Order: sequence, then structure tokens, then C-alpha cells
Amino acid sequence: MTGSALTRALTGLDNRDKQNKSDQYMTPHTTLSENQRTSTLDRRSFLRTGLGGALFLGTVSITAGLSGCATAPAGRLGAIDTRMDARYQFRFLTTDDIDLFEALLPAILGPALPEEPNTRRMAIASTIERIDAGIHKFGPANQKELRRLCDLLNFGLTRVSIARVWPSWPDATREQADAFLKRWRSSRIGLFNNGYMALTKISNVAFYGYQENWHLSGYPGPPEWAVRALPQFRNA
Amino acid sequence: MSLTDRIAQGLESGWKVTDGATLTQDLVTEADVVIVGTGAGGGTTAEILARSGLSVILVEDGRLYYQKDFKMDELTSYANLYQEGMSRTTKDGAISVLQGRCVGGSTTVNWTSSFRTPDATLNYWSKHFGLEELTPEAMAPWFSGRETRHSMSPWETAPNLNNDILRQGCEKLGFSWQIIPRNVKGCWNLGYCGVGCPTNAKQGALLTTIPGALDHNARLFHSLRAERLIMKQDRIDALQASAIASDGVTPTGINVTLKARHFVVAASAIGSPGLLLRSGLPDPYERVGKRSFIHPVNASVAQMPKLVDPFYGAPQSIYSDEFNFRNGVDGEVGYKLEVPPLHPAMSAGVVPGHGSAQAENLARLPWMQSIIALLRDGFHQNSPGGTVSLRDDGSPVLDYPVTDYLWEGLRNAFYTMAEIQFAAGAERVRLMHLDSDWYSNWSDARAAIDGFSMEPHRVRLFTAHQMGGCGMGRNPEESVVNGFGEHHHISNLSVHDASVFPTSIGANPQLSVYALAARNSTRLAQQLKA
Repeated sequence: MTGSALTRALTGLDNRDKQNKSDQYMTPHTTLSENQRTSTLDRRSFLRTGLGGALFLGTVSITAGLSGCATAPAGRLGAIDTRMDARYQFRFLTTDDIDLFEALLPAILGPALPEEPNTRRMAIASTIERIDAGIHKFGPANQKELRRLCDLLNFGLTRVSIARVWPSWPDATREQADAFLKRWRSSRIGLFNNGYMALTKISNVAFYGYQENWHLSGYPGPPEWAVRALPQFRNA
Repeated sequence: MSLTDRIAQGLESGWKVTDGATLTQDLVTEADVVIVGTGAGGGTTAEILARSGLSVILVEDGRLYYQKDFKMDELTSYANLYQEGMSRTTKDGAISVLQGRCVGGSTTVNWTSSFRTPDATLNYWSKHFGLEELTPEAMAPWFSGRETRHSMSPWETAPNLNNDILRQGCEKLGFSWQIIPRNVKGCWNLGYCGVGCPTNAKQGALLTTIPGALDHNARLFHSLRAERLIMKQDRIDALQASAIASDGVTPTGINVTLKARHFVVAASAIGSPGLLLRSGLPDPYERVGKRSFIHPVNASVAQMPKLVDPFYGAPQSIYSDEFNFRNGVDGEVGYKLEVPPLHPAMSAGVVPGHGSAQAENLARLPWMQSIIALLRDGFHQNSPGGTVSLRDDGSPVLDYPVTDYLWEGLRNAFYTMAEIQFAAGAERVRLMHLDSDWYSNWSDARAAIDGFSMEPHRVRLFTAHQMGGCGMGRNPEESVVNGFGEHHHISNLSVHDASVFPTSIGANPQLSVYALAARNSTRLAQQLKA
């Protein structure tokens, strides 16, 4: 579900790479064959994207912070400057991440989102809150991978070069977001497929799994007779 | 309350249950035996040892959830009852790992399928791992005892249509099929096994062995993470554990030290090797975490002409073993065919897509049917399994490279599943692969599958069964524990969960875990009482 392999290979800083480097001094043969199977292939695929600076990309998170990208969870956002429920406390998503998902959700959810502007804004905002709540439960390891993926997409240079989205996310059209998703989905580079799955899966689950959206998948919810008969619903 | 809840009653009657989140100061305590994990293995072990009169402490990383919390809601359940909030994957992100994390472990969220270990699997272990004492005959009484304990029997109610389509397709094509035995008592046939049984019908560890142990004075700590086993000379002296807040993820900083004469690790095929590795226990042949198996799963969905309502009814009631041992136990990889329940969030996670196409896919959920194939990994030299290692933060992660041998099996399974669905009258079939479109007849589907690139991420892969990583065997150079789950190098340490399996099982593993844990715990109780 996370963009783990994607971010790991793009940053070139994962444990396996470090391990292989130190192993090379001891067991060059094993390491080489392992590399042929995994890292080198990833590396080669990555080079085909036209950006060789793997080490440079490893510093995306840091640079993003220095260049003014939000790096701290958005916390409680004021209702005035955002579309969010002011009562919701963000634990993972930054204001930049929220911009990212506001740009992606119309492309990911398509006609499942309501048309009416106010209802639509509310549907997007509450989906983003549930995405944040879900990610909080992912725990630190997968959060770290997602942080790298979000930073990669939010940082201007990598957004343009890796995601090939020219405008910043708040200015990106639905068509541009959709084209980005399609590129990552159809790419022959597994890492981009992984990124596509991470973004769409988190969004689709948070959206279609929510009670108010059950009707969109024709799901009537738990059988009413059972709900009426069970004590855990009576006390609620 | 019209229903009687075993857990609510027990808590009221004074069971010794401590929520780690409520601890405000460090704690040191002890018992005869400390058991890490409360799933199929840990629960069974706890009940048998506690009934024999030994003092027992159970440690669970997840939290105690029971009937009052089981409200048939996917998002809440996935976030709270599953490992890493249902986001667990293999190291490269290519395989989704469905695994429980709560009191009762995966038995609290499984789909209740209850199979004995196939004879062919036991015989293979005997031949290849020196486990001659685990013959089908020797194991039979243990299976039968656990079938009784967990109320396992073939499902007598008619299968829901989702399952019946698998039966119909197999009938048409002349493939064998059978009824699945389930561990339920008074089941309402609702279909919510995967999000915590709302009616207390499921007889998993949560409602059987855990209450059995607590009734016999066992003490349960939940929301308490086992950090490491501490050795003193050649024995384990204590388990160091840390408390987790009520959100289930944030450490509170409170530490608990648990001392015991004997330690049983039953923290799952990912958690147990993780704990042994973190503890730096003797592992002279570097076997811990190796040969990890997962029954790799791929899936197919069909659009049926009639309403399927795949979210209602017992989730698994029909299976086919037509292809499971067709090529012998160790030939081309075999696969078991089953059916998954499809609720909105599960479907949205399994069926890949976005935009209009995805909205249309999910709008047809009531007509959707799905088949899954579970590959029998670990019986061939080209299926050596994966490896559990530690991340920088000490948490375990499974690296599972899919070999060409397995890719071939996955492709074959795609053919089989699509053929069965069309034989059962599917209007359209789509394979869970990023290259797959919807196909309206079997020959189009077959031609498309011919051209699928079988690559990580493009093929959507899942696992609900994690096995191995602390494999059992006679030879310490090739295994971690012996055939009784006793650690080869540490005399007061046993492993009682699916991590001891030297291959995958070839069937849903809960009964295999229950039975082996019952056998090994009975012996352990005798030894500790002597």
C-alpha cells in the first residue's frame, strides 16, 4: 500500500543498498548476483527516467523543508483559510499534502464525487481527513515511506521531473492529475506502479469504505435486522 | 443485553487483564511461563498451561477488542484489528499482507476456514525435515481435539452466491469442489468475519482459549509490545516490553519486565522471527527469518447477470483443491481455489483503478463475484520463500521475491479462475492485473492472460497466511526449533505459531497452528510440572 519501493529506489538510501555496499567487501559474488536481480534493475529503470541524480533525490525531504514546503503535520486547521473541519486534528498530512490530495482526489474518484460545489468540497475534505486518520494507524515505518512519496510529489523539481506535473498541485487541472496517474499506472517501471497503487488505494478505501458513500457501490450496509438485534448497536 | 458476552462477563468477574495503555509506571512481574502473542498459537498454549496449574502471562501488542467493538464497519476494523492499520506489505510494496493485530490475533479477523494440514504436507515434512513424528496418524487426535474445541464442522447452510459460483463453475468444468469446515457456533450467516464477529459465533482464540486461560488465573497484558528477550548465561531471563497508548500506535514510554522459567514465542511468522532477531539470540546457522512462506494469492473478479451481494453470507464455504496437488506435492506449483468476501473498502483496495472506470467498477459491486488462488509455496527448490529482517526502527519486514516458478503458477491460476467464472455464467471477467481489461468471453480472456507481463506491482498480490521464519526440523543447521517447537539452542524457549512450519500448509493454516500448539503445549506442561 505504501510507496516504499518507489521512494527507496528513487532516494537510493535504503537499507538493502547500504547492506549490499558493506557486503561487497566480504562476499562480492553473492552481492553481485543479488544486485543483478534487484537494485541494479531498479537503478537502470530509474536512469531511463532521465534523472541520474539518485543521491540528490535523497535530499528531497531536507531540501523541501528548507525551500519552504510544509513538513510538519497540519494539525488543527482554521475553518476560514481551509475547507477542512476545524475540529479535525491532522496527525500526518501537511498542508502541502492536503493540496496534493485536493488535486488528486477529483481524478481518482471521478464521477463518484458529488457535482454540487459545496457538497463536493465537503466530500473531498472529509476523505482527506479519513486518509490522515488511516495513515496514523499505519505506524511509523509505513508513514516514513509515505512521507518520502509525498515529499517527492510536493517538491517542485521532483514533481516536474518524476511526476511530470508542471504546475504546482493547487494549480493542476483534473486532466493533468489524471494524466499523471495514468502515466504511473501504465509505466513499465514497477516503482511508479507502486506509487500509483499507494495513492489510489489509500484514497479509494477511505472514500468507498465510508458509510455515507456505501450507496455508490450499491452496498446497503449491515443487515438492519441484525443491527436491531445486536447489543453493541443498542448501547451506542 | 440480550446476548451474553464471554469477555464482558469475564472482565466483570475479575479476570486479570491489564491494558498497557493505562500503566503509569514501570513494572516487573513474573510467572512460570510468559507467552508472547494471543493468536491461534499463543491462546492454545496459554489455556493448556494454565489448566495444568502453571502460572501464565500473555503479552499482546494489539488491543483487546470484543463484541461491543465489532460493529460491522470496515474502516474502523481495518485500522484497529490489522497489522499496520491494514497497510502492511512485503518489503518492495508488491504484496499486501493481511494479518491480525489484536487479542486473538488473526483468528479474530479470519474468514473461519478450518482445514487439517494436508497429509501430503505432513509426509513431505517427514521426508525432508526429519519430522517423522508428525505423521497424519500421529496428528489426527490433535486435529480432532481442536476441531471439537473450536466447534469446527462443514458449513451446513447453503453457500452464498459468491461461493456457489465457484461450485457451479467447477461442476461445469468437471473440477472437484468441497464444502469448507468453519469454526462457528450459532452463526447468523451475516458475512462480517473479517471485521470481528459481531455475534460471538466465531470460535477463534478470543472466545475459546483466551477465556479458558483467563478463567484459570492467567494474566493478560494487551497494548504491550514485546521488545526483546534478555539472556542470562544460556537461558532467557526476562522479556522486556513497552506499553502502547490507546491509539494502538504511540509508545507511552512505560516499560514492563516479565520474568519466567519458560518463554513461548507465538507472535506470528513475521513477529516471531522479528522478536528473535531483535533479541540477538543464538542463531549460529542464521536460520531465523529464513524460509518465510505466504501462500501468494492472486484474484479475478467477474460481473454476474444476477445479484451476487458478495458482502453478505458466510465469506468462505466452498473450495476447490483440483489444482492443489495435481502435479504432486513438489511439482509445478499447486493452488487452492477459494472466494473472498467483497465489502466496499476491501473491493476498493483489491480492484485497482481510478476515475470513471473505477467508479463504474465499484457501482456494480452487488453483481461482482471473486475467486482467489492460494499458491502452495515452499515445496520446490525454486520456491525458497522470503526473508524476515529488521528495519532501522527494529520492526520486522518480510522480503518476498516472487520467483519464475511462482509467476508461472500465478498465470495458470489466472486462466483457471477466469475459465471457472465464465463457465458459471459470468458476463465479464477482469483479472487483478494492471494490464487487465474486462473480457466478455473466455477466449478473449485467455488470449489477454497469454500476454500479461508477470511483474511485481502489475500483478496484484496478497497474502493472508504467513508461515515459516522459525522453521522446525531435526537438523539445527537447517531449522530454528525441533518438532516440538523447542529452540535448538536455548532450553527455556519454545515457538508455538505458524512460524515453525517448514513449508506453507497448502490450506488455510489456523487448524494447523491450533493442533501443533496443543500437542507441543501438552508436552511442555508435563515437562514444567515434572
